[in-house]
Amino acid sequence: MNRYLPLVIVSLAILSFATLLLVIIPGMQIAKSGASPGLKPYTVAEARGRAVYVSMGCLYCHSQQPRDEAQAPDGERGWGRASVSGDYAYDTPHQLGTMRTGPDLMNIGDRLPSQGWQLTHLYQPRAIASWSIMPAYPYLFAHKAKADPGDVVVKLPPAYAPKTGVIVAKQDALDLVSYLQGMKHDYAPPTDGLRDDGYELMAAQQHNNDAAKASK
Amino acid sequence: MTDKNKQDPRLPDETFEPYEEPRRIPMPVYWIAIALAIWGVVMLVQMSYSTKIGDKERASMSDQEVAATTPVKAEPKPDAGKALFADNCASCHGDAGEGVADAIPPLHASDVVKAGGASAITHIVMRGIGGPLIVDKANYDGEMPSFASVLDDKDIASIANFVASDLNGLKSTVTPAQVAEIRTASADLNPWDGGSGLAGLINGLPAQPASETAPAPSPDAAATAALAMHGTNEIWSCASCHGDKGEGTQTIPRLAGLAPAYLAKQLHDFKEGTRINDSMDYVVKSLSDKQIIELANYYGAMSSPSGARPSLEGDLARGEKIALEGDWTKNVPACFTCHGPSGIGVGDKFPGLAAQQPAYIAHQLAMWQGGSRHNSPLGLMAGIGKSLSDADRRAVADYLASLPPAAANAKLALAVSATTKETSNGQ
Repeated sequence: MNRYLPLVIVSLAILSFATLLLVIIPGMQIAKSGASPGLKPYTVAEARGRAVYVSMGCLYCHSQQPRDEAQAPDGERGWGRASVSGDYAYDTPHQLGTMRTGPDLMNIGDRLPSQGWQLTHLYQPRAIASWSIMPAYPYLFAHKAKADPGDVVVKLPPAYAPKTGVIVAKQDALDLVSYLQGMKHDYAPPTDGLRDDGYELMAAQQHNNDAAKASK
Repeated sequence: MTDKNKQDPRLPDETFEPYEEPRRIPMPVYWIAIALAIWGVVMLVQMSYSTKIGDKERASMSDQEVAATTPVKAEPKPDAGKALFADNCASCHGDAGEGVADAIPPLHASDVVKAGGASAITHIVMRGIGGPLIVDKANYDGEMPSFASVLDDKDIASIANFVASDLNGLKSTVTPAQVAEIRTASADLNPWDGGSGLAGLINGLPAQPASETAPAPSPDAAATAALAMHGTNEIWSCASCHGDKGEGTQTIPRLAGLAPAYLAKQLHDFKEGTRINDSMDYVVKSLSDKQIIELANYYGAMSSPSGARPSLEGDLARGEKIALEGDWTKNVPACFTCHGPSGIGVGDKFPGLAAQQPAYIAHQLAMWQGGSRHNSPLGLMAGIGKSLSDADRRAVADYLASLPPAAANAKLALAVSATTKETSNGQ
């Protein structure tokens, strides 16, 4: 252990090679592809809602990355087509998430477009699904004796409604719902969009096998 | 092995350092390294094929979108019209456009087509038509759906020109650009109101029957529309998820034009727990039997363009085969055997499938398979669901999404309200 210099040089070379392949080249590829043509920038309300989404830590349970049909039945679940790099062009930081304790939300605005549904569900998920393990967010709502003009009243079944007065959505809840309603990536993906196509070959082979079997 | 050691072998060696002779790396290590390198290269090559397949898929998806949204300049070939007519029109109007007596008006040597020419055909294909109509002195009273969502401008121009020139010997033609103009003008318009609706469109139209006067909207109907569009204090509106035109989205089904008796049965099934969906369970809890029937009639009588497009990467040819012929190697009958020609639906047991949302169809088929949906007559759909693979589900769902929607049938709605409204027996 007395030849330190070659050791340092070799380890630095290995590290910089990994950095080049895993960080720098992908970074350059992503920077080149830009925003998907169909993607709209966030509106002011959506951008505020996104900040609420980030601050609530939604990504710890909800991913934003539907997979290809070759990898998972996300399309059949109504979660939308597989996302590509350009779909996240306006997301800094991105909210890809790694956990799917709850469903993927990349196309929640397409799958559950109802503002009323989203507000009820945020106020008390158990009002809709008794088995839901999603936390309730009552502090995004206010209990009022009477709704003022312009207030959005949350629709609730008798079991969850207050005995008197109404529950109205605070601005944070309305912004968050605007953000969720805006989550629609239903345009065709750009041809040069980057994504993990690792299972496409397997799926294509499977498809050919099926076709051969069916023709017999 | 230094000189120091040799100087005096009796003295203990205090400067000894252990060392090893340089040894060769064992051969197995080389083999493993070479095998890993080869594996890596093979994986890289395979992955590059996968990426190519993925790129091709994305290219075809964006091509479809481009084809659907941009008018095509090129003049269509005359043969294309004949083939498109056979694919889209002949199943009702007949191979030679001869029609069906008392049911489907003829397109061959038809006085309405002769008066209106290719442009009138384009208008009708774009919006659909329903209600009393007189063609060649014969009365018809049927429904034709809008094909706007199914055919692009070039296809509609080909069909209109084929019907005008080949079937009626007219000189009049339309270009895809003119079709595009008609498409823009017809967006969001309801189907033509029978022959009388065409009066303003076609000069020299043969005499037509008066349109059925729409019944004055009753207070009940206004309340039902308000319920569907705005909900109540407890429940969200139907339209907030199913869309203002009942066209559905993703796993939320299209409701427009489904048989009212089918819709009412599903709502009752949600209420009784024989069909399960958390959001629908919530909604039906506060709907009365009367409201259920009124909503079923409301959506049954609704006629709206298709909101569905193939989106699950399904194999459309395979989907068409399953829908039209079934797959008897898997004991799957053709969808259209029960659900009607072109998936327009039959009676109250077999809902229309045409223009249904693909994610909804695939999702429901998976639910039939897994047993979480089990409310079909005789358990028919459970067996079919079990026989279809994941790729088959997506194929058939995408194929059905590519079809024109079934036209609404107002007569079916009246029958339901007459028989079930008073009794509300939950059938």
